[in-house]
Amino acid sequence: MTTQTDGQLTVKKYFTNIWDAVSSISKGMAITMGYVLKEKEVTLQYPEEKETLPKGTRMRLYNDVDDCIGCKACATACPVGCITIATEKRAVDAPEKKSSKGTAIKFDLTQYTIDKALCCFCGNCTTVCPTECLFHTTEFEYSTYNVQDLKIDYLSDEARSWKEKALKDRL
Amino acid sequence: MSVEFIGNDEKIKSELLTVNMGPQHPATHGVLRVEIKTDSEIVAEAIPHIGYLHRCMEKHCENADYRAIVPFVDRMDYLASMNMELGYAITIEKLASIAVPRRAEVIRVLVSELQRIASHLVAFGTYGIDIGAFTPFLYAFDQREKIISFFESISGGRLLYNYISIGGVSRDVSNDLIVGLEKFCAGFEDQLKMYDTLLTQNKIFIERTANVGVMDKDYCYDYGITGPVLRGAGVEWDLRKKKPYSIYNEFNFEVAVGKGLKGCVGDCWDRYYVRMVEMEQSVKIIKQALVKLREEGGEFTTKVPRVIKVPVGEIYMRTECPKGELGYHIISDGKKGPYRFKVKSPCFTNVSALGEIAPGMMIADLVATIGSLDIVLGEVDR
Ligand code: SF4
Ligand code: SF4
Repeated sequence: MTTQTDGQLTVKKYFTNIWDAVSSISKGMAITMGYVLKEKEVTLQYPEEKETLPKGTRMRLYNDVDDCIGCKACATACPVGCITIATEKRAVDAPEKKSSKGTAIKFDLTQYTIDKALCCFCGNCTTVCPTECLFHTTEFEYSTYNVQDLKIDYLSDEARSWKEKALKDRL
Repeated sequence: MSVEFIGNDEKIKSELLTVNMGPQHPATHGVLRVEIKTDSEIVAEAIPHIGYLHRCMEKHCENADYRAIVPFVDRMDYLASMNMELGYAITIEKLASIAVPRRAEVIRVLVSELQRIASHLVAFGTYGIDIGAFTPFLYAFDQREKIISFFESISGGRLLYNYISIGGVSRDVSNDLIVGLEKFCAGFEDQLKMYDTLLTQNKIFIERTANVGVMDKDYCYDYGITGPVLRGAGVEWDLRKKKPYSIYNEFNFEVAVGKGLKGCVGDCWDRYYVRMVEMEQSVKIIKQALVKLREEGGEFTTKVPRVIKVPVGEIYMRTECPKGELGYHIISDGKKGPYRFKVKSPCFTNVSALGEIAPGMMIADLVATIGSLDIVLGEVDR
């Protein structure tokens, strides 16, 4: 099916074609010029200016480990399996500990790591968490030189120090 | 085809030249490779090669449980994730007989129509670039950004939403956002008029696309082509109208068909035009959905167990995605994930039709034809 030209090219048609092209292009150019004069620029100069992300944007995960009951629901729900949890049963005579929702904490976390290099930011883990201690924050600038550094240990002091900022992003 | 490719002149030896268009080529919209045998400017043979974006999606889905599949289906057609999720969700809901609350249905229709606009805006913008007009692309992305930021506020993701879950949607739409969308709808109608002057009626654009890459009705039937390409050939076939799923039967809209306004029916211009009219109709649906959202309250999701119990069975469901009919064929053996997960992709069938119409075209026309098919390689290869 090759390109077909409709009808014979007459002198009149030749000039109408030229006129059509010129007029339709100038109409388009008028719109563009209107934009140039009227519209504000939309580009953000990124490192200097930053957009405020809406609450609930799915960026780096934060786990409030003191609230975590170690149920491993998040690790099961994760489609890529990037959450590693190790727990230890609390001694019977240990003082009773409760999460903010009132669930008794029966396990002590010994490891809670999320490999953010594997994570696909789907949010499945946060929806199943019974105590809502695991949630996404709006923090997105955490690139590293070494991929191993993206394995975040939420029991470390560094991760714990994010707490105050992270809690503001909680839905 | 009566085109003679190799000259009979015995003194001058001539042969076809093989050119690879893609996989890294701006006009192939992703990683499609078209192997073209050319006789100077004329295409003698074009063979589309696919598979550069194959990520074993179906196998991944078979190893995940029903809830964890949603992030995977998101990544098939990454320009229309909401439609992918919707198709998957209603398939599982039908198989497992899960009832969906009304508000969730309205939100689903709302987001999938918004996503249709966003997807068509990309098609419109990039098609402009293929033809040589860069400016429409910027305006299209400006509008698309508004839709994307709306999605960002409701779901938390900009491209891969994981928003439509089995049994409803994952978050509610607040009244502030409804007001914002109403404003967007009003502004977008003016934008559509502007696109019409900017590109649709542009003489150069018409010359480049009218009568080019004609796929008529029978050709489309032969290849099983669906979506805007089929409608561009003048067939009034839209699943939203013919076999309504979700609550599409409550909405008032028209099906856009190609009429051959600038050339013959089923040319590139018609396919492009169908998308433009579809955006108009989508705005109409969105407006109706917003009224429903305002008036009706209620739950946005039902309670579904953490591990969804799906009875043993087999199902095939199809929905109308921006690119065509997307079908999910799921076989369940009663375990926590599907036994077989098969996706019928519209882009795959559409790109397969390329080989037969290409011979005899100019190379530049081939670019225009590929653009008018609007394929997404993530979905072709899966
Ligand atoms: S966001 Fe998704 S991929 Fe990332 S840890 Fe949670 S469940 Fe896993
Ligand atoms: S689901 Fe929540 S409470 Fe359970 S282990 Fe994961 S983070 Fe802790």
